[in-house]
Amino acid sequence: MKELYNQLFQKHKTEDNTSLTYMDSLQRDIAIGSWEVNLQTDTVIWSAMTKTIHEVEQDYQPNVKEGVNFFLEGYNRDLISLLFARAVNDQQSYDREFQLKTAKNNIKWVRIVAYPVIEDNKTKKVIGVLQDITEKNNTLNELKLKEELIRTTFEHAPNGMALVSLSGEIITLNKTFCDYLGYTTEELIGCKINKLSHPGDIDIIPANIKNLIDGVSDKFECEKRYIKKDGSYINCILSISILRNENNQPIHFISHLIDITERKVAHKEVETLLTTTKSQNEKLLNFAHIVSHNLRSHSGNLEMLLDIMKTDLPECTENEFFPLIEEAVNNLSETISNLNEVSIINSKESKDLKAVNLLKTTHTALANFKASIIATDAKINISIDSNIYVLVIPAYLDSILFNLISNSIKYKRPDATPVINISAQQTTDFIKITVSDNGLGIDLDLHKNKIFGLYKTFHKHQEARGLGLYITKNQVEAMNGKINVSSKPNEGTTFTIHLKHEAH
Amino acid sequence: MKHIDTTCLIDDDRIFIFAAKRILKATNFCNNFTIYNNGAEALTGLRDIIKSGNNIPDLILLDLNMPIMDGWQFLDEFVKIENSKKTTLYIVSSSIDPADSEKAKQYEQITDFIVKPITKDALTEIVNTINTK
Repeated sequence: MKELYNQLFQKHKTEDNTSLTYMDSLQRDIAIGSWEVNLQTDTVIWSAMTKTIHEVEQDYQPNVKEGVNFFLEGYNRDLISLLFARAVNDQQSYDREFQLKTAKNNIKWVRIVAYPVIEDNKTKKVIGVLQDITEKNNTLNELKLKEELIRTTFEHAPNGMALVSLSGEIITLNKTFCDYLGYTTEELIGCKINKLSHPGDIDIIPANIKNLIDGVSDKFECEKRYIKKDGSYINCILSISILRNENNQPIHFISHLIDITERKVAHKEVETLLTTTKSQNEKLLNFAHIVSHNLRSHSGNLEMLLDIMKTDLPECTENEFFPLIEEAVNNLSETISNLNEVSIINSKESKDLKAVNLLKTTHTALANFKASIIATDAKINISIDSNIYVLVIPAYLDSILFNLISNSIKYKRPDATPVINISAQQTTDFIKITVSDNGLGIDLDLHKNKIFGLYKTFHKHQEARGLGLYITKNQVEAMNGKINVSSKPNEGTTFTIHLKHEAH
Repeated sequence: MKHIDTTCLIDDDRIFIFAAKRILKATNFCNNFTIYNNGAEALTGLRDIIKSGNNIPDLILLDLNMPIMDGWQFLDEFVKIENSKKTTLYIVSSSIDPADSEKAKQYEQITDFIVKPITKDALTEIVNTINTK
């Protein structure tokens, strides 16, 4: 380096124009510049390449202070100051790498070699060279980073990974791999990987491995069981790829393991659950059929027999039992027909949904209550945009609105004029329909779980059947919607229904 | 009133048969009844009647849900019998399954689908239909 410097620098000093250009071009080609600090005259000379590396104009006149300031503040600047002082005072040369910031604010890595020039035991000058090593350093750093990345990925991967020699020994493996099988790293390194295989699965590998080595495929995946140290086994997805050198010669395998034991167990559970649900659904359908057919025929027969008795034996209707029996039979028939309504809702499918104008449907529903609205002096406020369409089974929406409005009128407070507000809002996924009243209200603390239940009534009303809200909820849910209620005794009740709109 | 010789009841329900006979008699519509308790019995019986040269019943009330051979299976065989179109056939069933009433519409022979329990009014309706035929 010293010789090189001398050559470069001596020529530089001759101020022979031809050589200077030659030397400059040589410097440029190897990205090395030269510099000199004359301590006696306190002047600094930079060669053209030195200036280029600093990204300053060629007519730039450097001085010591400015020269030092090019180095990154802190470690780099402190170190160069220290080394330069040592060169001056202790006549020590140095060869170090630094980071500097150029005049154009680019950060560069440079290597600096410096020698003191001594005359009469005194340092007269410090001379040296400056080499731009940014690219080399960047490449090195990138490589280091990549290595680090791969190493970290390998070590901390949530899946088991192992490097396996062509003859099947484990070269290295990560912690997850060890954890999967319950061994320590030391126990597994050097071990034949197929010894860990479940005996039943040992045949999967060889043929596929041959394909990998022959280059027929570069990766293969399979489901495979491995035996743990404690003798139990785990289900894994194994994926093997092959690593080749630059001559395309296989060097080793990379085995990638994912433990799917839990997933398998969960899958089985889901399957069992599905089977149970299916069979229960079938039972329910059967039950619905029993209700629909068998019970109906019995209650039908009873009705028919009573009918005939009435005409054939009119005197028996005077018996005090007769009206009671007749009432019991009628109640039975009604209950069965209610159950039928419910079972039919549950067997309907959501594919029958149609887009229906909500405002129109609401008006139609209200038309049923003309008489009771006049009789109770009820005030109905509707706030529904005429452009709102809901995706419903039309008969269900009719029935839902009918039930809710009917409840609001039926369960009005005796001391207040009924006010019923019906409104709708469109959200991204749903149409939110709100039906609220100022009626009797329901104590939800007491009845929260029962409000949508079958045969639950909360008020003494002659027409209360405990069926309306049960059917309403079933209908809403059959159309993939949801229904909520909020209520306070003696203040009123608000039902909120979410139904899909046309776009969904 | 048009005279009906025989009404054929195909039903496994004794009570229904008892009541239906009673109501039909009460309307003075018909006094002769042929009773079968399932489809197979009915098919054999009706075939025998035709073979012996007798007339097929004027009215058949057919239940759907029966043991051995149900109403639909009976119908599929019955339509193949010659003269089967001469009779008036009603389904009288407890089924309120819409699939059943839809299916009934596919059979030319079926005049209507009546849901049990059968009432005097429904029977009067049937009688009127036959009379205007």
